[in-house]
Amino acid sequence: MYEYDDYDRRIITERAQQFRGQVSRRLSGEITEDEFKPLRLQNGLYMQLHAYMLRVAIPYGLLSSAQVRKLAHIARKFDRGYAHLTTRQNIQYNWPRLADVPAILDELATVDMHAVQTSGNCVRNITSDHFAGIARDELLDPRPYCEILRQWSTFHPEFASLPRKFKIAVTGSPGEDRAAVRFHDIGLRIVENAEKERGFEVLVGGGLGRTPLIGSVIREFLPKRHLLSYIESILRVYNLHGRRDNKYKARIKILVAALGVDEFRRRVEEDWEATRTPALELPDEEIARVSAFFAPPPYESIPGGADRAAALALGPDRVLGNWVKNNIVAHKVPGYSAVVISVKMPGVPPGDVSDTQLDAIAGLAERYAFGRVVVTHTQNLVLPDVKTADLPRLHAELRALDLGQANVDKLTDVITCPGLDYCALASARSIPLSLEIADRFDRIDYLNDVGDVSIKISGCINACGHHHVGNIGILGIDKRGEEFYQLSLGGSPGNDAAIGEILGRALAQDEIVDAVQKVIDRYLGLRDSADERFIEAVRRVGLEPFRQAVYGASGGADAVAE
Amino acid sequence: MPDANHWIVTGNFTDDGAVAWRRADGTWSRRLADAGLLPDEATATALVAGVIANEQREICDPYGIAVHASGDAIATLTTRERIRANGPTVPLRRPDGGVSR
Repeated sequence: MYEYDDYDRRIITERAQQFRGQVSRRLSGEITEDEFKPLRLQNGLYMQLHAYMLRVAIPYGLLSSAQVRKLAHIARKFDRGYAHLTTRQNIQYNWPRLADVPAILDELATVDMHAVQTSGNCVRNITSDHFAGIARDELLDPRPYCEILRQWSTFHPEFASLPRKFKIAVTGSPGEDRAAVRFHDIGLRIVENAEKERGFEVLVGGGLGRTPLIGSVIREFLPKRHLLSYIESILRVYNLHGRRDNKYKARIKILVAALGVDEFRRRVEEDWEATRTPALELPDEEIARVSAFFAPPPYESIPGGADRAAALALGPDRVLGNWVKNNIVAHKVPGYSAVVISVKMPGVPPGDVSDTQLDAIAGLAERYAFGRVVVTHTQNLVLPDVKTADLPRLHAELRALDLGQANVDKLTDVITCPGLDYCALASARSIPLSLEIADRFDRIDYLNDVGDVSIKISGCINACGHHHVGNIGILGIDKRGEEFYQLSLGGSPGNDAAIGEILGRALAQDEIVDAVQKVIDRYLGLRDSADERFIEAVRRVGLEPFRQAVYGASGGADAVAE
Repeated sequence: MPDANHWIVTGNFTDDGAVAWRRADGTWSRRLADAGLLPDEATATALVAGVIANEQREICDPYGIAVHASGDAIATLTTRERIRANGPTVPLRRPDGGVSR
């Protein structure tokens, strides 16, 4: 993985020192909260309902074991013994004291980490495929390009005060999008042109929030060397023309929709022709230099390894077999597997991982996975390079840590925002619904029978829980101070990108999980065969059968008007 | 849900972000029950302005809320304020990896 050089370390250390002074002035009363707020947000520090929240950047989700140990140490020493995995591959601490934050940033800097640009109207953490570098369907490892974009965007003076936050995602697997690139401000898909040259398909204007939109292609093929200059032109057009008078209309998706994608493209191309200079071209040598940091680890040659996972999945140990079947993903190197550690245990808020678990995961990564861990946007963890022969031992160790849940991509692998239990923006709670769903459906044979289905829960229209792209989406709303929930069906974040459609009137908190149960029951009753996935069935039959199942004869017809 | 019959002033402590409730004597408490009751919104609004002007070091983002007070008990009227008063309704992870409220 990328290793900081002296320059990287200096700017991060200096930023931490700056923030120490700002915190000191705030605590002494020298500056007011209004003056301090933009400064703390530039360092990832929010004020939530009960405490500050510090969001730590994890570029493209990739962590070394030393970094995981540091995160555990910070959770133990400065927080309440746990960290929370976010839907943008970062982590959050929910309980830091203001006076401790400079020390936390100092600790992070010792392992080349920080909280810069995890908030504010700037380019945020670059996200990617959590199987980057190991996916069988990958055309090119996207992480070097993510890293180049990270370096380019960090403290970029022209783009430090955009109309609104800006999110970029990159995938190197054109066949399967695991990074939801169509729902980012800029989505980059590594593709191959007719001449077999690899470059980027560039999408803009995707996003969730109160105006969910699928990104549009503005360039079908961008040579790699032009990555930075072209993205600068997109950002420049947005910076100049994006709305600043209304924060709800300020994202680039609103500008693209207002101008039309053809006019937006014309403006970008015009700017690009006028401004691109050799200084922003990425020479092959620079791409090679950064790519070298992501060179494959020293894999062993393991003859006959390819069939091992299949044998384990079908073996007599059904607990192990189900875990292998649901949590293990084929690796590009024979004899190795990618292991998804589910952080969706019954009784535990999704994505919450304790300091002791983090310490143990660091150890497992060192013993089984070349010391690497990846945070997924689905709030799980990946050990990317595990020998398939080691899976039984690893599984036993994960079970001892309460991390052996075999539910990846199943009904209880729910994406959940912090919701009204923590978040100052939320309209309703999210986590209790996830816990109830886990309680209701946590039977492995049932989960396997239902098959792959994604539930995504957001506690407000900002959609941090990605509810628009859940096969089943749940959105919390506030009605006169009480919590209600809208159910939507049919969303998908991948190559088959779709925004879910609201099923009917909002439901009370004590109705919503029953409604999910009715939707699943209906699916089980109407699917063509056990092979027809939930999303396929919804697309085939439409929403009406599910509407009838949830609302009966009324069909929830009064719903959408709310 | 009971009707509002008083107002109180709340905010967050600068030191740790914890929820703060303004007592009648002008000091700040971490317990809703300690909040000083105000007769109406106008009084709360005026008090908030004073807090912003004079107590910004200790308190962030003060605002007034309507409550129902009966005897010694103060009841907040929205889910949001109930959660602010009582803390998260979900388990918190403990250092031993177990689950606790």
